[in-house]
Amino acid sequence: MSSESSKKRKPKVIRSDGAPAEGKRTRSDTEQEGKCYSEEAEVDLRDPGRDYELYKYTCQELQRLMAEIQDLKSRGGKDAQAVEIEDRRIQSCVHFMTLKKLNRLAHIRLKKGRDQTHEAKQKVDAYHLQLQNLLYEVMHLQKEITKCLEFKSKHEEIDLVSLEEFYKEAPPDISKAEVTMGDPHQQTLARLDWELEQRKRLAEKYRECLSNKEKILKEIEVKKEYLSSLQPRLNSIMQASLPVQEYLFMPFDQAHKQYETARHLPPPLYVLFVQATAYGQACDKMLSVAIEGSVDEAKALFKPPEDSQDDESDSDAEEEQTTVRAWGPLSTRCCPPWKQKRERESRKVKEREGSWDHGSQSTEAQKRRRPTLGVQLDDKRKEMLKRHPLSVLLDLKCKDDSVLHLTFYYLMNLNIMTVKAKVTTATELITPISAGDLLSPDSVLSCLYPGDHGKKTPNPANQYQFDKVGILTLRDYVLDLGHPYLWVQKLGGLHFPKEQPQHTVITDHSLSASHMETTMKLLKTRVQSRLALHKQFASLEHGIVPVTSDCHYLFPAKVVSRLVKWVTIAHEDYTELHFTKDIVEAGLAGDTNLYYMALVERGTAKLQAAVVLNPGYSSIPPIFQLCLNWKGEKTNNNDDNIRAMESEVNVCFKELCGPRPGHQLLTNQLQRLCVLLDVYLETESHDDSVEGPKEFPQEKMCLRLFRGPSRMKPFKYNHPQGFFSHR
Amino acid sequence: MEVFQALQRLHMTIFSQSVSPCGKFLAAGNNYGQIAIFSLSAALSSEAKEESKKPMVTFQAHDGPVYSMVSTDRHLLSAGDGEVKAWLWAEILKKGCKELWRRQPPYRTSLEVPEINALLLVPKENLLILAGGDCQLHAMDLETGTFMWALRGHTDYIHCLALRERSPEVLSGGEDGAVRLWDLRTAKEVQTIEVYKHEECSRPHNGRWIGCLATDSDWMVCGGGPALTLWHLRSSTPTTIFPMRAPQKHVTFYQDLILSAGQGRCVNQWQLSGELKAQVPGSSPGLLSLSLNQQPAAPECKVLTAAGNSCRVDVFTNLGYRAFSLSF
Repeated sequence: MSSESSKKRKPKVIRSDGAPAEGKRTRSDTEQEGKCYSEEAEVDLRDPGRDYELYKYTCQELQRLMAEIQDLKSRGGKDAQAVEIEDRRIQSCVHFMTLKKLNRLAHIRLKKGRDQTHEAKQKVDAYHLQLQNLLYEVMHLQKEITKCLEFKSKHEEIDLVSLEEFYKEAPPDISKAEVTMGDPHQQTLARLDWELEQRKRLAEKYRECLSNKEKILKEIEVKKEYLSSLQPRLNSIMQASLPVQEYLFMPFDQAHKQYETARHLPPPLYVLFVQATAYGQACDKMLSVAIEGSVDEAKALFKPPEDSQDDESDSDAEEEQTTVRAWGPLSTRCCPPWKQKRERESRKVKEREGSWDHGSQSTEAQKRRRPTLGVQLDDKRKEMLKRHPLSVLLDLKCKDDSVLHLTFYYLMNLNIMTVKAKVTTATELITPISAGDLLSPDSVLSCLYPGDHGKKTPNPANQYQFDKVGILTLRDYVLDLGHPYLWVQKLGGLHFPKEQPQHTVITDHSLSASHMETTMKLLKTRVQSRLALHKQFASLEHGIVPVTSDCHYLFPAKVVSRLVKWVTIAHEDYTELHFTKDIVEAGLAGDTNLYYMALVERGTAKLQAAVVLNPGYSSIPPIFQLCLNWKGEKTNNNDDNIRAMESEVNVCFKELCGPRPGHQLLTNQLQRLCVLLDVYLETESHDDSVEGPKEFPQEKMCLRLFRGPSRMKPFKYNHPQGFFSHR
Repeated sequence: MEVFQALQRLHMTIFSQSVSPCGKFLAAGNNYGQIAIFSLSAALSSEAKEESKKPMVTFQAHDGPVYSMVSTDRHLLSAGDGEVKAWLWAEILKKGCKELWRRQPPYRTSLEVPEINALLLVPKENLLILAGGDCQLHAMDLETGTFMWALRGHTDYIHCLALRERSPEVLSGGEDGAVRLWDLRTAKEVQTIEVYKHEECSRPHNGRWIGCLATDSDWMVCGGGPALTLWHLRSSTPTTIFPMRAPQKHVTFYQDLILSAGQGRCVNQWQLSGELKAQVPGSSPGLLSLSLNQQPAAPECKVLTAAGNSCRVDVFTNLGYRAFSLSF
């Protein structure tokens, strides 16, 4: 019992201790609710932990009591035992009551707990829903914001003037600096306003300009009308001025006429004429160009053939004839002659195949002609080599007033050009015998370019034409026709492929232009060098070596050896000389060269020099071969020093060229030869066994007499000091 | 400029020749200072074409003429006006021709640079002896490239040198008409033979000069202005005088023959007794140098080559006739 009371008291004490205010209120609550269900209120007041202690304690008590009852019963005592058992039973019942109560309380608590949990859960659900809504809203708003941000305004595409310019130029009522400076939005608006304003102004200006233009156009129209009305009046003035022009030697009209004539030139000559005239006007005032020949004949060439399809149509000569006629003046020509010829030929073949009548007619014609075959061939040849009636005349004047006259012809059927040359000098030249060939029209232009002898036709197609009429080579006709040099073809714009015997010939202005300048210069140098040679030869024939003052430094003051003879010799004679074999074998003695023989003497010593003069002098040096007659015959074969002398004049010719362009070369070489002979003779070792003085006492100053394995003599002259040394 | 090139070829003189250490190539130097290398093996092979008789490579070695050339185991030495230059054979054959070194002997004259007419190798001492325009023999140590001593005695320039291997002594012949013997160990003159003073061989109209020289133990053969003569050195007396009128520019012993060449087209072969055994004509009007290719490395290229006053080097496969010519 005591234990139960203490047990019941304890919660009370706690209750009063725990929270007095609460306790009071709960007590009043329980008092109100106690009427309906007191235990529910009690639950709130009690502490579950203490209930659990109480439950444990009650269970222990119950166990103890049960064990005591058991004990008592087993002991078997009757009364006392029964009382005690009863007592204990009552105590147990009390404990059971307590358990029951605790059980109820536990149930109520469980229920309450569940309710609370449920309530809390509901609340959480509600909050969650709210959150979801809010998130959705946020997302929507963000989308809206990005949409706004991405919005493009049209004004961004407009190119605006820069900010500084805007503030500088725009009037203040548009720029409103105080407002717009801080506010970019306003600023942009203001700038757009300004842009609009400016554009309006420009549009205005454009309209003005257009109207202006129209006005000017109208003015031009008026002036044009005026000018066109002027032309006939000017013409009449021109006509009236002709006598005056003639009277005053003003060749305006003549030039006009020449151009008129030039229209009738065949294309190559026309190209040459135009290019030469152009070159003469632009670069060389000393070049004059003229056209010679009968214009009427040239015109007649182009008249349509009236009876070309007669019985002679098969003959080749006639064929050529019609080809010639097909050459129209430049303005009317539409197709080059070789093409026309080909067309004609193909047409002819067709005709032959087509109609037998025609074929028999032609064989008849052939039969009829056979007896006069020789005459016919001759005619054909003449026809083939026929020149165009017009020719172009170029006069190239050199500094010393000598003139090179070049006449260019065009061979119509061979489609090549030829040239004839003539040199006239200002003063009458005393023609030395040896200079005969120098200015002859046949050789003066030979080898202007290396290897261009002008004896063969440059057009590979000609060979086939020649075969037909029995011409072996053009060489035999060159004197009459002029030389078909390659450079002449180039000046006429004719280009012939070297290894290709086909007609691929086109007259080409650029080809002519590219060669004009070099060729003209070469022509001039050629004439000048020939004239220089001409002059030199005149004095050489008199045994004087004309050394000019600007070449004196090349030679010592005293030269004893003398030139005594200078004659021209024939090519055959040259090749037959015994000491020129090397040159002939080396292929340096072609028949286009000029050959001379010089004789230099000193005392009993005679030095023969055979000279090869290339037409390309002075860019190609003359070649000397020597033979010394002194104490036996000495040539390069048996004397190393003769060989050295040859190489001194032939190989070391560059130092002998003198002032540009080196026309003095030949003279200097001859003078050098005299010096070399002096050195050779004076340094010849004296034979001790022979009595008497030396024939040639040594006068030249030499460092050493001999040098090297081949015992060379000191041939090199050192100018200011005047001594001789070895090369 | 075709004409100019033709003229240059026409006036070319080949002064010197040298066979490569392998024996298959021949170097030739001309008066324009060019050295051309010919391949003997290609030119001698059975399928030789025209091109194989042209130089494999030509290079400008000197400013002046190339008067003399010799070959060591690895180098080609060439000498001309005042200088000796060395070229590596290996590089020449690879066509990269850069000079290895150049040396100039100490000259005393200043006005004109003396030429070097002769080079002589003394293999035992590794010496190169140079002689020429300044009348001295200069000895150069090939190891260090320094000039060790100079031998003076000649009164005019020196044409040629020869070596007596056994002694060792060097012979030199010069424009002054004397042949001098020099002892290499003491660097002193041992003996002088003034050839022109011996009446048997003197030819005053040709001058005194000694243009060529060869020696074989006690025997020496020399020629030039005086007639070609065989000398007994110990007694310094002429034993045989060879009947050849033209001055000789090169002479050499070959087996029991003496080969000589000079003015005139022929290579002359002499018996020691003075009999002319054969005269084999070449293509040049005058010959200046003979070269016997006896390199054991290339027995198939064993030929005699002769060059002189032309741009051609004649090749004699046996001593009897000229097989063909190599040409610059």
